[in-house]
Amino acid sequence: MMDLTQRQWVKHAVTHPVEGFEDMRWKKSGSLKIAFFIVFLLFVGQVFDGRLYGFQFGVPYDKTFSIVPYLVKSVVLFAAWVVGNWSVCTLLDGEGTMKNICIYSAYALVPYIVQLFVNVLLSHVLIRDEAVFINVIRIIGVGWSVILLFSAVRSVHQYSPGKTVFAVILTIAAMLIMLFLLVLFMSLVQQIWIFILSVYTEISYRFRV
Amino acid sequence: MNKRLKLLPLVLSGLLLLAGMSPAAVYADEPYDVYNYDRWGEAIPSQAGYTAERSISGRDLGVGPMEEPSDLFCDHEGNFYIADTGNDRIIVADNALERTVRIYGRFTMPDGSETSLSKPTGVFVSEERDWLYIADNQNSRVLVSDKEGNVIMEVEKPESDVYDQQRTFLPQKVIADKAGNIYVVLNNITTGAAMFSPAGDFTGFYGANRVEPTAEIITNYIKNIFRSDEKKASMARNVPSGISGFDIDGDFIFTCSQSTTQTTDTVKKLNAAGKNIFAGLELAFGDYTPMYDTAHNKLMKPAIVDIDISDDGSINCLDRTTGRIFQYDEECNLMFIVGTKARQVGGFDTAAAVESCGDRLFVLDSAKDTITVFTETSFGAIVHEATALYNDGYYEEALDPWYEVLRRDGNYRRAYIGVASALMRKGDYKGAMKYAKLADAPKLYDKAFEAYRREFLGKHFGKIAAGSAVLIVAVTVIRRRKKHGTAAAETEEKEE
Repeated sequence: MMDLTQRQWVKHAVTHPVEGFEDMRWKKSGSLKIAFFIVFLLFVGQVFDGRLYGFQFGVPYDKTFSIVPYLVKSVVLFAAWVVGNWSVCTLLDGEGTMKNICIYSAYALVPYIVQLFVNVLLSHVLIRDEAVFINVIRIIGVGWSVILLFSAVRSVHQYSPGKTVFAVILTIAAMLIMLFLLVLFMSLVQQIWIFILSVYTEISYRFRV
Repeated sequence: MNKRLKLLPLVLSGLLLLAGMSPAAVYADEPYDVYNYDRWGEAIPSQAGYTAERSISGRDLGVGPMEEPSDLFCDHEGNFYIADTGNDRIIVADNALERTVRIYGRFTMPDGSETSLSKPTGVFVSEERDWLYIADNQNSRVLVSDKEGNVIMEVEKPESDVYDQQRTFLPQKVIADKAGNIYVVLNNITTGAAMFSPAGDFTGFYGANRVEPTAEIITNYIKNIFRSDEKKASMARNVPSGISGFDIDGDFIFTCSQSTTQTTDTVKKLNAAGKNIFAGLELAFGDYTPMYDTAHNKLMKPAIVDIDISDDGSINCLDRTTGRIFQYDEECNLMFIVGTKARQVGGFDTAAAVESCGDRLFVLDSAKDTITVFTETSFGAIVHEATALYNDGYYEEALDPWYEVLRRDGNYRRAYIGVASALMRKGDYKGAMKYAKLADAPKLYDKAFEAYRREFLGKHFGKIAAGSAVLIVAVTVIRRRKKHGTAAAETEEKEE
């Protein structure tokens, strides 16, 4: 029983919010390759959502385009989630490995990504008065993903529902701390860089004169 | 010889290049970079709507230098009335501003005695009565006289309970409406303009500004509940900014406020009841992002000192801080930005008053003691024509002028909106969508798209319906086959 290919496992996990991830764990299934592909799709979906939306639903600021916000919204956020969840749950007797957390969390994002693509398509067909369809699809997609993510955390660590909620809250806190430290670190590096640059310019002026 | 001949084309082409470049260098430019705002509120280069033609001093008018003139008015006959404050006189110049028609300095009172002006700061001529209204500042009165200089009445400090008797009465600007009601802007009153009946009786205040509800005011209000009366008395009070200038256009009075600290009610359009028609709209007047003045280490916040309504309904707001005139159409869409702070013609030191007459703009500078004349450029004329047609609802008639505007300035956003609206009216929805997109106007695009979609579905509904029906049938057939196939295989396995 349950002899599914890796691709069929994605479908199974997404369409079975309660038991899907438990089955996956039981069968020791899940592919890191597919997980990374899903994260890549998340990134593409975020870019589509930001840039290719139907014009009637808002104008993107197209004087400048920076890829960084989209990377932050997809890859960085996902990485922070995985690392944060791993570091929190290792301390909370979680059974999940980093690899499994990554795979399960990525699979849980599928409805959200589908929602992004579907809405981008719909936004070119609908008018503003019909925006309610887009909103409904968005709510379904986000809600489904949240439920899946909860289920993923629960089965990857073999937690009780209460402990899962606790772990998720702690994970979010850990993510915030990590991102804060990252920003701090980046500004520090920038300061050092500016210092080195100014020393270099100073010396180069001396040599010239 | 040969070498020379070979060089000739080179030299010629060089000369041609120079000739091609020279018009740009010789071209009489404004003493400032002409700009406008795009959809994002960012300044972008634009074509000039007005160009500074010349500046006129008192000497040019043959009346000696003016001294701190503070008001300029163009009456229905086209004559200009200049309140020459420092010289205690009103100068009347002809329409071309080439010679002086008359100087008012002394007036005959009804009882035969003579009276003179003292620092007149405002002048107005009513079309209906042909009377002069002069804000005679230092004499604390508004003088109403006929054109011969015979005083008809004096409006003085009202003896009313509504008017705080401890306050002085120093008229700054004055206007009168069709019915003859007199409106007076006072230096020290923040509750609006003082309003007088045609007979000169005080009837109340008109068009007070509101106080901007900032966070500071709200916290002060809460703190005041616990404060003692002595403490309250020593606090800075939250009073609305006073009116600093106004103009009348038909039934509406436009007021402006030069406060740099408050952004509410800087420009108002008041109806006869004193209700502000612009109140509900979120409008910003002057520069969106104030320029930072590095020389004085401060932000150049707009201070709109005077307002004028052109014959076609355009609103001209004069900003003293930057020396710029911001011209808006009736709907408060920015059309042109004219002027700067500079010594050249077209630049101002302390701009005091703006007035329009036909297609020209006049700005009075009370430090340079000059009047600067701006004439409409051909680009300005086209924009005005198109705007007037558009605002009156003649979208299709406005199409050609808008195209012409775009040919001259591809950054002019209003033109894209105008073209999109016109194409929409004509039924060219695809074109309307294109131009709405260029204008960054999502709502307009939405309307065009809705119509386009309706049209598209009407044309192709049969094909779409047939196509989707075929697709659905195909998908169900394939699925059923697959299921049958697997089910058959399973049963086979079991049988084995």
